[in-house]
Amino acid sequence: MVRMVGKKKSLNLIRLGSLLLITALVASGCGSSPNESKDTKTELKPTKVGIVDTYTGGAAVYAKDSLDGFKLAVKEIADKGGPKIEFVTRDDEFKPDKSTSWAKELVMREQVDFLAGTTNSAGSLAVSQYAKESKVPFIVWGGMSDKITGAAGHRYVFSTLPNTAIIGKAGAVQLSKTTHQKIWLAGSDYEYGHSVINNLWSNLTTIKPGVEKMGESWWRVGETDFTPYINAIRSAKPDILVVGTGGADMVAFMKAVKATGLIQELPVWAHTSYDPATLRPLGDQAPEGVMGTNPYLHNYPDTADNKAFVEAFKKEYNREPAAFALYGYMGGKFLGAAIEKAGSNDKEKIIDAMEGLSIDTPVGKATLRKEDHQVAIPMSYGVVAKVEGVFTAKDLHTLSPEDIMPSVDAILKARAK
Amino acid sequence: MDFATLASQFFIGLSRGMIFFIVAAGLTLIFGVLRITNFAHGALYMLGAFIAYSVSTLFGQGPYGFWLALLVAPIAVMLVSLVIERGLLRFIYNRNHLIQMLLTYSLVLIAGDLVKIIWGTEYKSMDIPGVLRGSFNLWGASLPWYNAFLLIVGPIVALGLWLFLSKTHLGKICRATATDREMVDVLGINSTRVFAMVFALGGWLAGLGGALIAPTTTISMGMDASIIIYAFLIVVIGGLGNIWGALISSIIMGVGEAFGILFIPSIAIIIPYMIAGVLLIVRPSGLLKSAW
Repeated sequence: MVRMVGKKKSLNLIRLGSLLLITALVASGCGSSPNESKDTKTELKPTKVGIVDTYTGGAAVYAKDSLDGFKLAVKEIADKGGPKIEFVTRDDEFKPDKSTSWAKELVMREQVDFLAGTTNSAGSLAVSQYAKESKVPFIVWGGMSDKITGAAGHRYVFSTLPNTAIIGKAGAVQLSKTTHQKIWLAGSDYEYGHSVINNLWSNLTTIKPGVEKMGESWWRVGETDFTPYINAIRSAKPDILVVGTGGADMVAFMKAVKATGLIQELPVWAHTSYDPATLRPLGDQAPEGVMGTNPYLHNYPDTADNKAFVEAFKKEYNREPAAFALYGYMGGKFLGAAIEKAGSNDKEKIIDAMEGLSIDTPVGKATLRKEDHQVAIPMSYGVVAKVEGVFTAKDLHTLSPEDIMPSVDAILKARAK
Repeated sequence: MDFATLASQFFIGLSRGMIFFIVAAGLTLIFGVLRITNFAHGALYMLGAFIAYSVSTLFGQGPYGFWLALLVAPIAVMLVSLVIERGLLRFIYNRNHLIQMLLTYSLVLIAGDLVKIIWGTEYKSMDIPGVLRGSFNLWGASLPWYNAFLLIVGPIVALGLWLFLSKTHLGKICRATATDREMVDVLGINSTRVFAMVFALGGWLAGLGGALIAPTTTISMGMDASIIIYAFLIVVIGGLGNIWGALISSIIMGVGEAFGILFIPSIAIIIPYMIAGVLLIVRPSGLLKSAW
């Protein structure tokens, strides 16, 4: 009796499953051939962008910034009489499965021409896969995984933020300028942490062959107490501690570096160590002297273009833009420039126009590299310092994109695998 | 590996264990007396940290802010617990465990959204008070003052709980209720009042744990999920409902993890589960006698 009930249930499930599958197939078949536009150069239809991003939860602070940056770009383009861009947003709650289902909904029901967003790297990769299947171009301005435009890259995905390969290489260049030989690697035990550290380490061993790895520590995401890690690393007496950790863990880690007095004994490197998102919550407990890399600060680079961007952003949203605002802003600007260049609503033509496209941005000239669709922008490096009573960065240097981008050969090799 | 490193790592682990104990003691007390699997215990801990942040910020993160936060936050969480117990939990004592779990789990979700509405999504941080900043020299290694402070607070809380449970009339009723609930009812004692009090005490402990951890870390949504796993592991290892079991297993967990981080740092993430696995193989029903 019990078994029969079970069978009946599973039969029903199979039936339901196949029904869903058929619906999905039919729907996706319809979705891939929406209104083909005719080449009307004089009057372009507005381009519709579907944004899937994390608007609730711990990462919401980044998605909010990138969306505001994008909105500002759309407004500026429209003010100058450029192509019209419309957008809709969906909240994926930092869950990759939701990112894909929203992406599908946006393409099928909302009939968007472009997809964008996804702070969650796994979500970026999932949406990218769907973009490839449905041939709807996808602009990533949130996910940092190097796989997005690297091993898993394709014609329909673009990235307007530096990924972990670029961050790792920039860190390696910065560290190669120091005399530290014995290195301890540490980080959060998940995709971002391992990816940054692996990239940094493989680049550093190439640039500076003498370096020696003393050991590694990996903590769980959401670790609250870093003192046992720091005490253990300190006792091993490395020359420098190199850390790949993000979000809330980054703030807690920096706090522990200060509380344990580690920085007086041991140099520390961490990406985004002097980012406002890290320093603002720390108040006066920021550890001075921690080295780091960062692609953007509202007061660096100190150029007229950046000042104008900060001014415009402040006027619109009453706060200073952080790095993710720049990424969303660049996403919008690239799209606008590409539509203008293509002079068409045809997605394939816009992609062609986007490949190798260069535009002026707050951080200087930015190019979407033709071969891998990865944005090339400069990266700064420096140390945390108190300047005029405020914690920020000093000794800032700029690395040019050529110094920190992974080579095209390496990308193509990874994709061929 | 010199002696100083081992010693400092031991004390750091011990102070980590003290936070575990304060949180797990509340959970195990509720387990033992109310027989409820309180998933929301981590949420109460998170609430404690956020309230501590607000109180301390109100005083400009000044020297008094922390001490006041340490006093106010646990009491505020205790009041919230009292409302939860009187408003929700008391209606489900006679229902099965699944219903109880569902209710406490829904409280986790509600607390998560509530925190987001009240405090927003930005990361929060609270200052360590001036007198507890920095570290001191311990046979050549260094130990942060705040960890030393936790090493004082932990035993005080343990001692207080012991005095309460073994020396006071109410405490004796609590222990009796944990051992044999029907017998307590038969003796004419109002056991629902005991339940309310124990749940409030458990909430106070969770809030205290949150307030104590707040200055050392980032106060953010999701901090409830990371503590509740430890708390459940500790409660199960120690023996369900047994406070002294929780104390012993907290210390084993804290110190064991600290030494794991020292000796096998690349796989530190699995150490708590290794400890729990080994201890449960050796003593499947927990280190000390379970109340269940």
